[in-house]
Amino acid sequence: MQLIIHPADELPIYRQIMRQITEAIAGGRLKPGEKLPSHRDLSEELVIAPLTVKKAYDELEALGYIETQRGRGTFVCERPPRQDRAQQLAPVRETARKLLAQAYLAGMRLPEVVEVLRQADREITAGPAKQKEHV
Amino acid sequence: MNAVLVFQEIERSFKRGKPVLNGVSFAVQQGEVTGLLGRNGAGKTTLIRIAMGMLFPHSGRVRVFGLSPTEDPVAVKRRVGYVAEDQVLPPASTLAELIALHRYLFPQWDEGLERQLADRFALDRNARIRDLSKGQARQAALLCAVCHRPELLILDEPAGGLDPAARREFLETSIQLLNREGAAILFSSHHMNDVERLGGRVVLLDGGKVRLDRDLDALREEHCVAMVPRAAVTDAEVLEGVAGCLRARPVFDEWHAVFQGTPEMVGARLHQALGLEQIRCVRVPLEELFVELLGSERLVEAR
Repeated sequence: MQLIIHPADELPIYRQIMRQITEAIAGGRLKPGEKLPSHRDLSEELVIAPLTVKKAYDELEALGYIETQRGRGTFVCERPPRQDRAQQLAPVRETARKLLAQAYLAGMRLPEVVEVLRQADREITAGPAKQKEHV
Repeated sequence: MNAVLVFQEIERSFKRGKPVLNGVSFAVQQGEVTGLLGRNGAGKTTLIRIAMGMLFPHSGRVRVFGLSPTEDPVAVKRRVGYVAEDQVLPPASTLAELIALHRYLFPQWDEGLERQLADRFALDRNARIRDLSKGQARQAALLCAVCHRPELLILDEPAGGLDPAARREFLETSIQLLNREGAAILFSSHHMNDVERLGGRVVLLDGGKVRLDRDLDALREEHCVAMVPRAAVTDAEVLEGVAGCLRARPVFDEWHAVFQGTPEMVGARLHQALGLEQIRCVRVPLEELFVELLGSERLVEAR
């Protein structure tokens, strides 16, 4: 799994790591039981402080997505917290309305919004596209 | 927690009646990374030189590992690594001679780390200091500052004047040292992206005092900038009177006000205090926060 961080993003770096790992788990790119890089390796790969990685991992662990096994490393939980489908339906609908309102105000039409969703789905399930790299 | 570096009410001026530092207090704990920020002339280098025993404070107290850097300079320097903004290395000596001198000065010198860093930076040991590029000279200085495995690393504007690739190499090495040695780091920088990468805590100097002293992530998440139309309030003091407002300044046809609090909280507070509706409040990266807190006013009349 490839993580990409931007120091000048609106989100602090540990939140960017949390979001990308959560997305990778949701999209199936990170499988239950899969091992995550160590604090040290990820910190050196991304050139960020080791404590920042630790903070992201600690928060993800508290949320039940990953678990640390002493001496073995950090792994994606075998059973990540599945949120209750019926319970999540209302907030997902709410988000969908917000999304449509934003898109319609920007002059987009429904098919374009659907295309945006498809693209987001591809990114979540297959990893972020490297569109900016080949300029 | 053990403090490795303590500043207590430090005062220092270079011109009578114009203190550069006017009561600065904070402490750096073992293994903690602290970014020292502030505009040019805010006193960052002065404070660092006081910590290194190169300047006396006019009042107040500095302690490094509980010792005074001016009374116990040897004991302090043995445990501190320091890279200055304008490192003065002996220009005529070779890198090999410079390294040999440091190895002689520091009994606990780590030759394995020395070789590793020299290889990584591709430093030619036979090169004379004066023939090194700025980036290489800074790398040589870093090598000399860390191979005795200091418990506290003090970096004054380590990236100043380096190209982006050299800056990144310097940062990568600092991160590696942080991983392997767990040293505390105090560094001053104008590169906010580097500060975000090194993380930890941010101490902002302004007007001779510590203006902000916060965990970086908390600073990012618990502060936001509200953009208020110019016509909505008469002057900056009205906004600064609202609870949690750190500073407001005019930027063309808006007021930009830095608030402590989440965007939702701040929006509600502005509504409650001033009856303002639909004010855009956003979390911003460190660079923007820095500019909003310390930047000058940008008036539409000035155009």
